[in-house]
Amino acid sequence: MEPPLPSRSRRILRIVAILLMAMIRPAPAQEEAPSPEGLAFFETHVRPVLVERCLSCHGPEAQKAGLRLDSRAAALEVGGDSGPPVVAGDPDGSLLIEAIRYDSYIQMPPDSKLSDATIDRLTEWVAMGAPWPAGSGPEDEATAGSDPFDLEARAGHWSLQPVVEPEVPEVSARGWPRNPIDRFLLARLEGAGLSPAPEADRRTLIRRATFDLTGLPPTRAEIEAFLQDDRPGAFDRLIDRLLASPSYGERWARHWLDLVRFAETSGHEFDYDILTAHRYRDYVIRALNEDVPYDRFVIEHLAGDLLDNPRRHPTTGTNESILGTMAFFFAEGTHSPVDVREEMRTRVDNQIDVLGKAFLGLTIACARCHDHKFDAISTRDYYALAGHLQSLRHQYAFLDPPDRIDDRVLELQSIRSALAAGLPRSEAAGPPALPLREGDALFEEFSGDSFDGWFPSGQAFGDGPTRPGDVTPDPDGGLLRLEAGWAHSGAIATTLQGVLRSRTFEIESPYLHLLVAGTGGRINLVVDGFEKIRSPIYGGLTIGVNHGDGPRWATMDVSMWQGHLAYLELADGASSNYTGGTSGLWPGDGWLAVGAIVTSIHPEPPVPAGEAKPGPARGRVAHGELPAEAASLIDRYRQVAAELPEPTLALAAAEGTGIDVPVHIRGSSKNLGEVVPRRFLEVLSRGREDRADNRLALARRIADPANPLTARVLVNRLWAHHFGRGIVASPDDFGAMGQPPTHPELLDWLASEFIRSGWSIKHMHRLIMTSSAYRMSSRLFPEAEAADPTNALLHRMNLKRLEAEAIRDAMLALSGRLEPKLFGPSVPPYLSPFMEGRGRPSNSGPIDGDGRRSLYINIRRNFLSPFLLAFDFPSPATCRGRRDASNVPAQALALMNDPFVVEQARLWAGRAASAPGASPEEVVDALYESAYSRPPIGAERERAIAFLREGEAAGRAGVEAWADLCHALLIAKEFRYID
Amino acid sequence: MSHCGRIIAPPLSRRAMLSRCANGFGALAMASLLTERGFGARLAPEGGSWEAGGLHHPAKARSVIFLYMDGGPSQVDTFDPKPRLDREHGQPIQARVEPTQFNNVGAVLRSPWPFRKRGESGIPVSDLFPLVGGCVDDLAVVRSMVSNFSEHTNANYFLHTCFGQQGRPSAGAWVTYGLGSESEDLPGFVVLNGGLIPPGGLDCFGNGFLPASYQGSVLKAGETPLANITPTEPTAEDQLRKLDLVRAMDRDVLARVGDHDAIESAIANGELAFRMQSAVPELTDLSGESPETLRLYGFDAPYPPTRSYARQCLLARRLVERGVRFVELTCPGVGHDRWDQHSNLKVGHEDNARAVDQPIAGLLRDLKGRGLLDSTVVVWGGEFGRTPMAQGTDGRDHNPFGFTMWLAGGGVKGGTIHGATDDYGYHAVQDKVEIYDLHATILHLLGIDHTRLTYRFSGRDMRLTDVHGRVVPELLA
Repeated sequence: MEPPLPSRSRRILRIVAILLMAMIRPAPAQEEAPSPEGLAFFETHVRPVLVERCLSCHGPEAQKAGLRLDSRAAALEVGGDSGPPVVAGDPDGSLLIEAIRYDSYIQMPPDSKLSDATIDRLTEWVAMGAPWPAGSGPEDEATAGSDPFDLEARAGHWSLQPVVEPEVPEVSARGWPRNPIDRFLLARLEGAGLSPAPEADRRTLIRRATFDLTGLPPTRAEIEAFLQDDRPGAFDRLIDRLLASPSYGERWARHWLDLVRFAETSGHEFDYDILTAHRYRDYVIRALNEDVPYDRFVIEHLAGDLLDNPRRHPTTGTNESILGTMAFFFAEGTHSPVDVREEMRTRVDNQIDVLGKAFLGLTIACARCHDHKFDAISTRDYYALAGHLQSLRHQYAFLDPPDRIDDRVLELQSIRSALAAGLPRSEAAGPPALPLREGDALFEEFSGDSFDGWFPSGQAFGDGPTRPGDVTPDPDGGLLRLEAGWAHSGAIATTLQGVLRSRTFEIESPYLHLLVAGTGGRINLVVDGFEKIRSPIYGGLTIGVNHGDGPRWATMDVSMWQGHLAYLELADGASSNYTGGTSGLWPGDGWLAVGAIVTSIHPEPPVPAGEAKPGPARGRVAHGELPAEAASLIDRYRQVAAELPEPTLALAAAEGTGIDVPVHIRGSSKNLGEVVPRRFLEVLSRGREDRADNRLALARRIADPANPLTARVLVNRLWAHHFGRGIVASPDDFGAMGQPPTHPELLDWLASEFIRSGWSIKHMHRLIMTSSAYRMSSRLFPEAEAADPTNALLHRMNLKRLEAEAIRDAMLALSGRLEPKLFGPSVPPYLSPFMEGRGRPSNSGPIDGDGRRSLYINIRRNFLSPFLLAFDFPSPATCRGRRDASNVPAQALALMNDPFVVEQARLWAGRAASAPGASPEEVVDALYESAYSRPPIGAERERAIAFLREGEAAGRAGVEAWADLCHALLIAKEFRYID
Repeated sequence: MSHCGRIIAPPLSRRAMLSRCANGFGALAMASLLTERGFGARLAPEGGSWEAGGLHHPAKARSVIFLYMDGGPSQVDTFDPKPRLDREHGQPIQARVEPTQFNNVGAVLRSPWPFRKRGESGIPVSDLFPLVGGCVDDLAVVRSMVSNFSEHTNANYFLHTCFGQQGRPSAGAWVTYGLGSESEDLPGFVVLNGGLIPPGGLDCFGNGFLPASYQGSVLKAGETPLANITPTEPTAEDQLRKLDLVRAMDRDVLARVGDHDAIESAIANGELAFRMQSAVPELTDLSGESPETLRLYGFDAPYPPTRSYARQCLLARRLVERGVRFVELTCPGVGHDRWDQHSNLKVGHEDNARAVDQPIAGLLRDLKGRGLLDSTVVVWGGEFGRTPMAQGTDGRDHNPFGFTMWLAGGGVKGGTIHGATDDYGYHAVQDKVEIYDLHATILHLLGIDHTRLTYRFSGRDMRLTDVHGRVVPELLA
């Protein structure tokens, strides 16, 4: 179903059509040679204006909007993005004239308006037929066109070629390779006359592997066990143990969260909470720990709401798959946008950017305003995807397994049917048709048996509007007859929650009248997908229904949004409440009934509410009318209803009316081109019949083994985290502007192996980490550095700086403060006095985050942790597959003076120094081994002891001196660099 | 503890940096980032003039002070007099009304403040700014600014980063990226937080995709101006002893793993951080300033916000003196909602102006007196202006379609008015200046070609001015 274009867009399309027709229709002046007077007029009054005011942007040097105005052919035939701007003989149909009059969306010249006299002259010139001497401009150049977009040529780019599993190369040093990865690397090294670095020692290896997989340092006991394991395969067993640790999921979830710009607030002015965001974070942790096949994970992200058999949480049975779709909604969001369409486009653009980079390694968002400058992505591709994204809706999805709520609702429904069947049937006729005036149009009156045309979620509204004869037990133990023809969220039980969403429609009339009853109900009009409905501007698009049983009209003045696309939400709970500076969910303990919806040109409803339709409650069944078994049925009903649990809700995508979007020429919403049906990228669809015209099909195309990008992009991400740099060094850009792979065959071998393993991420970790390459030392050897200065050939391991979270988590691990609890709502962030601004939470969280790992600290866009930011925690703006590892003084200042660091050093010292019976030397050994996975070397122990003595001599008694030593161990570079 | 004398170390490895700097710019930017004194070394002042060196062409100035007027001051009440407002006061506006933030459009509202011609140039300035008005011959008043956004946060990001969303580098970050810092012990981009962090938060001063070394360091007013600047040890000796141990350990680790760039840089940054611990308190210690100087800025003003902003302005001068490249000042709290007078324009604007007028005039005069104005670009303005018609009865709503900013100092043509709005002061109609153009012009004054200051990110050579911007020649001396 494709709703009509907004009227303004239609108008623009008409203009475009007129311009196109003008191109075909021979212009009158073209047939005869221009008169000498006309040419003189042009030279005197027109050409000087063009030269002075237009040609610097629309001439030989620059062609803004693709337009040149230096020849007749360019101005009247070729034109720019919006077609030819001059229609000879038709000033009012000429975009040029519209633009210089400043009454168009294009105002030219942009810096200041031409004088009225000049505008009159140009208008007169167009009316004369736009005389222009022949041969006075570079027609050939202008007509040659400047669009170099050639899909076939660009489709030859390496990353778009099918993944072909290469032969594993032969190598000379047969003893070195442990698996095929090594042979690919070694073949290149041998070709360059290099040999791989020697293997790192066991302590370095367990430190490297433990941080890589868990983001935490190995404990002394773990180190000891590994050193003691002298059977073959000790390192493989270590990797298996680490992969099985729940900390693995926490560590790698954080890498994934960077890709989907995970944040728990939407930034902008009030930094509203993105409700239930932590459920997504937990979903990612679980999926990684369970090694959910990556293709499945991708499909869940794009269309988890559309799967027939969703994965379920192992213990609660809640819907896991749908949680993936929350990733669509972590974008920044404006609280009261003046231009709500632009807000939608910005949101969709961010969604496309993240989707393209995270899953495909493509910068699709570059094709918003023009075909991609370098890659095989056209603006048509962009708007085909934009259609998919404009079609999806924001919902709070009901996650519970059927046996938690649905099954009980079935029982309630069957009791209602039994009760109704036991009553004498009253008159069967439904309510009379609503009398309408000229200018009224009936949008809905709920006279049918189902919610056909609506998108229901939750249980409250049942499976259709109330029907003649419907009853429901009331709170006092009686039985209530219901009027037919109401969408009624209290007909089963007021504790149930649910939302009915309408089809998407174009707002044509200025008023919406809804006949409503209820308490705690909510009517929202979602315009252009904008869900932060509140004042200023949007306050009128949400109405609370709180008056009780009697029917009343609720009216929305929607005149500001005529021509926009919108849908209605009739909500009993499960809907967001933006009040003041906070967001929350409306409670679902009331009910809402809607009996009619009318769009209208009249500000008043069509008839008084009392004459429209009887209210939903019709009156109690007299006691004598109740059949004998009714009392026990009602008792059972009330018991089941009273035990209905609160639903488990999470932000997720919902399917709505499909929308196809026109190309926005130069990215402008005011200049629309052809409508592009929803589909996947053309370059990856050649030779395929299926069009991917719905989101699930799109998801399957992205996760298709035949898609050359998805597997390559993911294995490269894994590689990059293990080796410090990807085979493709630009992990989010596999396009022409990205880096080419240093080892293309290896990349393809890994991608093939990944698919063959059933998209098992853990399998790939194991494979990569059990290679000889992974075990190489990172030590620099001058000769090898000279031959391979960027280490592109991986002749050694790269040195890696720990990420912000790992630095903080490692401190907690050392101090003993680390709280091992997994999952759950986030800990409020600690707010230092330097974290100011609007939307600042009223209370600060604990400075140590209750000892929770960093990924459990609430990520507030406008109040990101300065400690984490100093160590390159990325601003959650878009997909970030590669973090910086910068070097700034703020890092040193934080390590030296941040109260958190000082506190952890003190805790650590207190714990270590109190070890019973330990000599100072033994304590020093323990500190070094905990921090660096190695005992002190050479003079280090003596130096530490001397430091303690000096401290004590200077008055730093007992634990203070130890705390100074611990602090120094945290500041020293070895703590945060993994060799 | 000995200091090796290195200053800001390369943020990424030399190799990584080179791969990101696009053709042409790379070598030059590297030179300024990695040499000891950066850009300044090649830009030694000769005869008090900065017309030497420059990244792409001779520079007129070496630093920027941005006086950011949070909330959007009204152009028609400050620097852009509109007699038509007096004539039509109380009547419906005779122009198409653009959508506004509050959609509560009232009648034409005249300015409560008279304008007077000031200085030799005779540029009119309202009675909100009598003292800045006294410096008007040094100002280039741009009356034709336009922005792309009507909402604070988007407009703030746009004003600072030329992009309406979070995540792009702030102008100060770009400038520091391009020119490096001249200070050995202070960051190159400093934000003096007067009390109000604008909507959009600290990301207005962020480094975006640039390395974190270029992010704005926010200095607060008060005892502890910078986070983590105060040592936690009881005595300086205690800290030194600790850092000496660290130094020995770091030396050992280099010996074991080799001279990795990253570790060397981290060591150098540790030393800079150590120096900052004393440089920042020295910066904020104003005991060496003369009573005349303090009075000039308004340290003795009766209105407390004036005194607070006076301190910020004086700190700005001290930062520029110490070679800090880009200084931004946020507004002091005056008990109203910044310059954002949706209602009660009279009281709100008066208090805001009272807080900043004398300190700004003091800053301009002090810079001039010390010969620093020639090498410093001072920029004044908000994220947008305000509507000529009332919001309700006594406020003004947001107006990005035409508003005023001014520039002064190094290379700026003082005593000029550039551009014009329509009779209402609503839309810029002559010589429109976009935010992109403003930044292109500031970069130009610093010797930077805005089309060549690039950084490879997301598959593109990103620029502060995106794909837009032109230098406004009429603003150049």
